[in-house]
Amino acid sequence: MKAPDFDYVRVRSLDEALAALAAHGEGARILAGGQSLVPALNLRLLAPEILVDIGGIADLSGIALADGTIRIGAMTRHADLERSPEIARHVPLLARAVREIGHPAIRNRGTIGGSLAHADPASELPACVLALEARIVARGPSGERTIAASDFFRGLYETALGPDEILVRIEIPAAAAGERFAFHELARRHGDYAMAGIAALARDTGAATLRIAYFGIGSRPMLAAGAAAALRDHGASEAGAAAAVRALGADLEPQSDLQASAALRMHLAGVLLRRALKDLFPDAAGGREEEIA
Amino acid sequence: MARTASRNIGQSIPRLEAREKVTGRAEYVHHLRLPGMLYGKIFRSTVPHARIKSVDVSAAQALEGVYRVVTIDDIREAIPHPYYGPAFHDQPILADGKVRFAGEPVAVVLAADPHIAQEAVGLISAEYEELPAVFDEVEAMSSDVLVHDVLKPAATFPDLKHLAGRTGTNVALDYHLLRGDPEAGFAAADHVFEHTYRSQQVMHIPMEPFVSVADAADGRLTLHTASQSPSFVRIEIARLLGWPENRVRVKVPYLGGGFGGKLYIKLEALVTALSLVARRPVKVALTMEEQFFMVTRHPCTFTIKSGVNKDGTIVARTCKVVWNGGAYADIGPRVTQKAGFTSAGPYDIENVEIHSYAVYTNRPPCGALRGFGAPQTAWAYECHMDEIAEALGMDKVAFRRKNLLQNGRPQATGTIVQDAALEQALDQVADRLNWNEPLDRGDGRIRRGRGIAVGFKGITAPTTSVAIVNLYADGSCGLYISTVEMGQGSDTVMAQIAAEVLDMDAAAIKVVHPDTDVTPYDMGTLGSRSTFHMGTAVRLAAEDARKKIAELARELGLPEGSNLPLPELFRRKYGMQAGNIIGTASFIPKYEKPDAETGHSRNATPFWGVGASGAEVEVDTETGHYRITKLVNVADVGTALNPKLVQVQLSGAGIMQLGFTTTEEMVYRDGQLTNGSLADYKIPTLLDIPPEFINEHVDSEQKDGPFGGKGAGESTTIALSPAIGNALFDAVGVRLTDLPLTPEKIFRALCEANGTPLAGE
Ligand SMILES: Cc1cc2nc3c(=O)[nH]c(=O)nc-3n(C[C@H](O)[C@H](O)[C@H](O)COP(=O)(O)OP(=O)(O)OC[C@H]3O[C@@H](n4cnc5c(N)ncnc54)[C@H](O)[C@@H]3O)c2cc1C
Repeated sequence: MKAPDFDYVRVRSLDEALAALAAHGEGARILAGGQSLVPALNLRLLAPEILVDIGGIADLSGIALADGTIRIGAMTRHADLERSPEIARHVPLLARAVREIGHPAIRNRGTIGGSLAHADPASELPACVLALEARIVARGPSGERTIAASDFFRGLYETALGPDEILVRIEIPAAAAGERFAFHELARRHGDYAMAGIAALARDTGAATLRIAYFGIGSRPMLAAGAAAALRDHGASEAGAAAAVRALGADLEPQSDLQASAALRMHLAGVLLRRALKDLFPDAAGGREEEIA
Repeated sequence: MARTASRNIGQSIPRLEAREKVTGRAEYVHHLRLPGMLYGKIFRSTVPHARIKSVDVSAAQALEGVYRVVTIDDIREAIPHPYYGPAFHDQPILADGKVRFAGEPVAVVLAADPHIAQEAVGLISAEYEELPAVFDEVEAMSSDVLVHDVLKPAATFPDLKHLAGRTGTNVALDYHLLRGDPEAGFAAADHVFEHTYRSQQVMHIPMEPFVSVADAADGRLTLHTASQSPSFVRIEIARLLGWPENRVRVKVPYLGGGFGGKLYIKLEALVTALSLVARRPVKVALTMEEQFFMVTRHPCTFTIKSGVNKDGTIVARTCKVVWNGGAYADIGPRVTQKAGFTSAGPYDIENVEIHSYAVYTNRPPCGALRGFGAPQTAWAYECHMDEIAEALGMDKVAFRRKNLLQNGRPQATGTIVQDAALEQALDQVADRLNWNEPLDRGDGRIRRGRGIAVGFKGITAPTTSVAIVNLYADGSCGLYISTVEMGQGSDTVMAQIAAEVLDMDAAAIKVVHPDTDVTPYDMGTLGSRSTFHMGTAVRLAAEDARKKIAELARELGLPEGSNLPLPELFRRKYGMQAGNIIGTASFIPKYEKPDAETGHSRNATPFWGVGASGAEVEVDTETGHYRITKLVNVADVGTALNPKLVQVQLSGAGIMQLGFTTTEEMVYRDGQLTNGSLADYKIPTLLDIPPEFINEHVDSEQKDGPFGGKGAGESTTIALSPAIGNALFDAVGVRLTDLPLTPEKIFRALCEANGTPLAGE
């Protein structure tokens, strides 16, 4: 199918973009890389009046390190993250995760801002920013505000962004010495959205700062706070791991779909957690394991 | 085989149309725009089974830019009996009082702008009185829910005559075969095994979706259509219109894939009716999503029972094969019969009984798809073979070899097997898998295994091909055939065959594409038949042309063997560069219709398609996810007339079947397809092809084939699924009986085997 009729404007500045949003209200949609929006239009799941293309706003893309924080512009493409030496050094979890997004053609167009704003529960980056304790900066008619990643994802394709707001950048604390991460996902085919995935981060060598985020399990990316607490209490020993896996029952709300049943997803969440622990705490949990995605 | 080197046969001649295609110049029906042409967009039923109370087209009709909205009542004005189909005249051009599957065409909007037509479709509404529906083939065998009130077989199939007027059943065809005395065989056997296996509904997914253009004017009709069977289209459309064939012209340029989907009548009857009603050329082009409602592959439930002696000899086998044909029969009855008669597998068994049923259900119609039922039957009989070997403690290759049909032995129908390299194919796969070497199976959570399978198929018969070789005044050559070039390389192979006889270069021959005003009859580009049937007709037509050249030379008083170039012969005869030599031939293979009760026939198939496959897998026992690390397919294609093209056919069929084995399945909820788009219906991508992917043909010859050749397009679909299923069993000890082989099914089977159910269930 083809998209329903819509108007299109390519804006040159954020102010212009905000003005367009203000003028059209709910009828306007921001167009970033178009890799989620255009398919949704073609399937006629959406029928906006006007697309506001923010691809021409130069200062929305780019990666910069200052004061121990990495700032990533919303229009930064997945492929730029993939190739960036700063990301590889200071946010290795993102560098690892971004490789799993679709295929090269999609990564060449798709943007980090679009991925977070779209909030597909099976997407990699939303879970990563949860694990990374990122701050998401949005700009609206009354200026900028910063939203903690943990407050950002509200439900299926639902975020804290208002219809008059634009996601402008993501701020992530740069990796400290001794920081470790784990990333695993299971999918039906190469390049598919995940049927279950985990992104986990420990800011130091112990479990005290551990954050575990899941994607592809429920209706939104989710932090497994109970599991993290169990690991803080018991350490990453077998007993700790077992307690953490048990705690997932309360942390997650797995859903059934064409790719997997809810019961299988819950099981996979446990398997992925144990694998993540092996990456994060190789001494306690014993060696990394090979994966068949 | 000692054969003198040829510049054509056995050479990997590059495809004649390769340059045209890679430069984007090849013509497809999708590109075609005729002056005054309207586009038709289809309004489809949203319920699987219902009486139509009313269809409200007023808002659509009122939309600016809409030319006309058409329902079955309008179509009746042009075609009084608007029912079509190759085996049964059961399919209405648009829903006629009833809908029988969700997605069935109910009305069409015509507009000069396809987007306006599409928008208007959204303004149509229909009121239905819903009827109970039946979706499962086994249920449909005995259900009170009837998809059709009365069976309406087409006259073209004499063996369906007895079904005419039958009521109170969903069974569109029952095929039976009896050889020996299976009951006595079971009674005497040391062991009896019985298992049931299922195949799911899948779709062809040609990258070029269905598309047809009709241009009816002044009592004549021209159809430009993406069809695999232009000759059939002409005959069936002429029948619907009550016109002589010569007033219907069917033209087919290149096809962007067919795989059996674009056979018989698809959109052609609809566009014809629309063009007659609108008095304008009309084009209907489906979207990728709509293709799921056009034609699909039969789901199949197959119960197989074998009596086996201690030494591994299979002494008796019964097969009950139930084919889910969907709402309209399409060519399903032929699938039922052709795949039915080989459903006991390529084994030499004294006592065999087969019952094969085509059953109507409220799903989208099912028809031919690469393999014509053979992959579904092989999925059952080759898993069954492994289960038996496992129970007997026999080596899986040795057990098969012991029972394999040898050339010279009668197959279940009684037809003597000839030129079927079954054992060679099996052995070659075993060799490539290093079957006699131990395999490191692993002992942790990753387990490895390997599996093997072999199968065969009969070829649709009897079918006819006619070819014309036209030598022009300058000695150059046109080859007029109705074989459709759909990516398989038929233009190239047919040119090679003609060139070989005429002593020319294949690349110098112009292959004229199907145009029923110009090219002669061919039954269709289907079922691995073209190389053998059309190839033979082309060879004979070229020989006929040679004979006529010799006659011309004699007529001109030239001594025998004078070898004067053809242009010179023409000049001497006509005094200038003028004239033609036209060689023609037709070919129909020997065939004997199977006996209605026993299924016996001395000539059940023109040749045998043979394929064997092997797979090595790695399974993660914690998740059920698996990786196919090695996939081997070996086929018997007779002489490989063009080895490169054979390679591409074998690997292409293998990748297609890999999707049908691992990820593809049309999933329904209450009769509604829930994954009818390529986002959710997952076909393999390049990255999903196993790292070691070996496709080979055995060294063999089809003695009565053109230069020893036979079909190659389906062989690797046959045994691939059971090879993978058997490998999974070998790795983790659980047997999956239902395709596709998903990680979740494997994991659940492991849970069950270990007595550790999933939490929360
Ligand atoms: C075949 C295919 C496979 C894919 N596989 C994956 C995968 O495996 N994993 C994965 O994560 N993704 C996958 N994607 C999606 C891809 O990552 C998208 O790029 C991403 O989800 C959206 O980014 P975008 O820049 O393309 O946004 P767009 O499609 O342009 O926009 C998406 C939504 O976000 C809104 N939006 C965009 N930017 C902003 C902004 N700055 N402020 C406010 N709102 C904004 C838009 O209005 C729209 O509603 C796949 C896509 C395709 C087509």
